[in-house]
Amino acid sequence: MPTRETLTHSAAETVAFGRSLAASLVPPKLVLLRGELGAGKTTLVKGIADGFQAAKEEDVTSPTFTLVHEYRGPKVDVYHIDLYRVDTPRQLETLGLDDLMADNAVLLIEWGEKFPRFVRERDVEIALESVGEDERRITVTTDRSR
Amino acid sequence: MPDAYILGIESSCDETAAAVVRSGEQVISNVVFSQIATHAQYGGVVPELASREHLRAIVPVVRKALDDAKRTYQSVDALAVTQGPGLPGALLVGISYAKALAFALDKPLIAVNHLEGHIHAVLLEEKQKGNREMRFPVLALVVSGGHTHLYLAEERERGWTYQNIGHTRDDAAGEAFDKVAKLLGMGYPGGPVIDKLSKFGEPHAVKFPMPQIKHRDRREQGQPEPEGPRFDFSYSGIKTSVLRYVEKNQLQAAIAARRRKLAAIAKPSVEEYRAACEQSTLDLVASFQRTMVRDLVEKTLAAARECDVATVFVTGGVAANNELRQTFEQEAARQGLPVYFPSRQLSTDNAAMIAAAAYPKFLVQDFAPADFSAEAGMRLV
Repeated sequence: MPTRETLTHSAAETVAFGRSLAASLVPPKLVLLRGELGAGKTTLVKGIADGFQAAKEEDVTSPTFTLVHEYRGPKVDVYHIDLYRVDTPRQLETLGLDDLMADNAVLLIEWGEKFPRFVRERDVEIALESVGEDERRITVTTDRSR
Repeated sequence: MPDAYILGIESSCDETAAAVVRSGEQVISNVVFSQIATHAQYGGVVPELASREHLRAIVPVVRKALDDAKRTYQSVDALAVTQGPGLPGALLVGISYAKALAFALDKPLIAVNHLEGHIHAVLLEEKQKGNREMRFPVLALVVSGGHTHLYLAEERERGWTYQNIGHTRDDAAGEAFDKVAKLLGMGYPGGPVIDKLSKFGEPHAVKFPMPQIKHRDRREQGQPEPEGPRFDFSYSGIKTSVLRYVEKNQLQAAIAARRRKLAAIAKPSVEEYRAACEQSTLDLVASFQRTMVRDLVEKTLAAARECDVATVFVTGGVAANNELRQTFEQEAARQGLPVYFPSRQLSTDNAAMIAAAAYPKFLVQDFAPADFSAEAGMRLV
C-alpha cells in the first residue's frame, strides 16, 4: 500500500498540495479525508476542486450544513461530503451516496471512517494532522490494486 | 401598479412553507412547517429526510396558506417558488409541486433565489410598516446555517440587481454556532441555545483570535479583475479554537455528562440548559458568541463604509440572534447608518419572502421557463 507523506506550512501550501493531488486522482474514486475538526480538510478540498477546474478555491466552503457539495468540472465532478453529523448506517443510507458514484465522479468524504463500509471500499485515504499552529502533516495512502 | 396576490412556496432546507403576499408589501398569510424536531435527533439537516418531510407537508401547508388568506387556488395572480440554493431533493419537492399547480391553474410561475428572498423579507416588512424612507443602495448581510453573504442590492428599471461583495471562505456563521453547540454537548440547532446561555456568561473570559483574511488577487489565474474590494468571512478557525480550549481545559467528561443529561429531557428549557452548564462553559459560550457577533458586525460595517451604502439589512436565521441585533443597532447608529432586520418570524426560512421577492419579477413578467429545475448551488447575481 503506497504511502506518501507531505508537510505543509500554511493553508496556501495545503491548497497547492490539493491542486497537485487532483492530477493523480483518476475517477471514479472514493477518497476518505481523515482529520479532526480544524485539521484542514476543507482547505485541501479547495485545492483538489480547483485542480479539476470544478470550482474556484474561494468558492469551496464547508458542506456540514448541506452534507453534500457538488462541484462540476469540465471532465470530473467533485463531491465534497461531510458525515460529521451523520451517526448511524441507517441515516447514512438516506443520503443516497451510491447514486453519486458515476464514472466521472470523485467523492471526497469527511468523517467517512465512522462507517466500516467506506473504510473497506475506499480507493484513497488522505489523513491530515495538525503539527504546530500552521503546519499540517498530510499522508496519502493508495491501494496498489486501484 | 396593479395589485397582485402571489402564492409563495419554499422548501430549500428544513422548513416547508407557503404564504400569500399582496404586491410585495403585505403578508396575507404565512405558514411554516418546521422539520427541526425530525432533524434534531440527527444533529443537523439530513437531505433525504428533508425531502420526505416536504412531500408529506407541502399539500396541507399550501392549502392552509390559502385558507388563512381566504383565497382559492384560482384567486391568486401568480405562484412563486424557491429555485435554489438548497438541498437538491428538498428544492425539487417545492418546484415540482409549484410547476404542476401553475400548469393546472394556468397561472404564471416565478422562480426565486432563496438569498434574494431573505433580502426581500426586510423590504416586505418595512413596506408593511409604512416605511417610505428607505434609502438605497442597500448592503445586505444574509447570515444563516448555510450562508454568510454580503450583497449590494439596488432596484433598477427591470427589477432588482445584486452584487456579491463577500462570503464565507469556509464555514457559515450559523454553522459555527451549530458545531460549537454540538461540540459542547448542547444539541441542534445550536444558535438559539448559545444565544440564550450567553447572557449568563462573561463575554471577555476567553479570547478567540479572528483571522485577517487575505484577499488573493483573482487575476493570478487569468480571471478578470474583480470589480471592487472583497469582504470575506471565515468561521472555521474559531470552531477549532473552541475545540482546543475544551482539550486544554479537559472539559470532555463534563461535556459527555451534559449530553446525557440533556438527552434525557424532551425539550430542555433555558433553565435546564443553564443547570447543565458549569460557569466556565457559560463563559466560553458567551465569549464565542461575542467574538462571532463582533466579527460579523465589524466586517459588515466596514463594507458599508467602503461601498458608501445608505442602509444596512441583516437577514437570515442568525439575524434572530439577540446580541447580533443589539450590537448592529448600537454600532450602526454610531456611524449614522440605518439598519433593518426582519421580524424573528421572517428571519428564518419562510415563503412570504419568496412571494415578496417575486412581485418585482411579476411586474416585468419575468416568468420561469417550463423546463427550469432546482439549482442547489445557485448564486445570486
